[in-house]
Amino acid sequence: METDIRFTHQTLVEQCKTGNPSSQYELYSLYVDAMFNVGLRFLGNKEDAEDVVQDSFVDAFKKLHSFKYESSFGAWLKRIVINKSINYLKTKRVAIVPMEAHEFHLADEEPIEADAVDLQKVKMGIAKLPNGYKQIINLYLIEGYDHVEIGEILGVSTSTSKSQYHRAKKKLLEIISEL
Amino acid sequence: MDNFEKHIRENTAQFDEHKANRDKLWANISEELHKPKTKVIPLWKRPLLRIAASVAVVLGIATMGFLLVPRTTMENQFVSEELLEIDMHYQSLVSYQVQLVQDNPNLSEMDKQEFLSFMDELDAEYETLRKEMRKNLDNERVLEAIVANYKKRIELIENLLRQINDAKKPDEDYGYTL
Repeated sequence: METDIRFTHQTLVEQCKTGNPSSQYELYSLYVDAMFNVGLRFLGNKEDAEDVVQDSFVDAFKKLHSFKYESSFGAWLKRIVINKSINYLKTKRVAIVPMEAHEFHLADEEPIEADAVDLQKVKMGIAKLPNGYKQIINLYLIEGYDHVEIGEILGVSTSTSKSQYHRAKKKLLEIISEL
Repeated sequence: MDNFEKHIRENTAQFDEHKANRDKLWANISEELHKPKTKVIPLWKRPLLRIAASVAVVLGIATMGFLLVPRTTMENQFVSEELLEIDMHYQSLVSYQVQLVQDNPNLSEMDKQEFLSFMDELDAEYETLRKEMRKNLDNERVLEAIVANYKKRIELIENLLRQINDAKKPDEDYGYTL
């Protein structure tokens, strides 16, 4: 039944493809909160997140005919929101990957094992992370992408994504332990 | 994946704690989505405007046709205004100098005859070049040949005039040289 997830809201999506406004509103209502939170996690403020979410829905409805159920509608839409957020950060020249040279990451390759932490603390920890670290932690832990996908989103190699994630995770654990 | 990661990934719903301002966002989105529709589509749906547009298109094509037909025949004669100007410039220059030669009293009838036969030859060459140009309009080599033809005539005339003047000089200077 795993493939069925791709066809969630299929009838609704098909109605939206014909440009039906009430179906569009229905689909929008189902996803707007989730997308707003995604935008908020990346951009850090309400105004920018609203702009990006608004833009993403407009784009999604306009390009809906190109959506062919290769993923669920939600995943497709989320990818649009994330790409727009990353682009927005790039235009504002906010670091999306830590500045340290990506090639010299042999030293801290070793994965750190850690136990479950209270989610409230995790949220506070993520909020305190420097910009470059925050994006990769969001992408991996909360948005649930793997390193291949993160590499595509950020425009870096898979190994860079892995090593940067480990570094970010180490930093996050440090911050949490100090809380 | 360790417990830290698992715990977060299994509870990501808890990270979606904010609520979007639905109505405000939707207002902007639907405005953006309906912008092109309200502006463009109704125009084509009105039958009257369709007829008007068809009439405009037909009229446009007709006037285009009328404007283009005479222009193309003009273009058969002269590729461009520039060429026409060059042609006229040289033509007037040549005819002026030919007139000078014919009016010159210092030339013998035989010299004049020889010169004019030369000119007739060049005239014939010029006519064939013009015909050639009508066949292939944009041929630069033909255009260059026409210009060269004119230059040759002028050169010829200038040579003739110089000869006349040179012939005169020794006679005039004669008394002073010794």
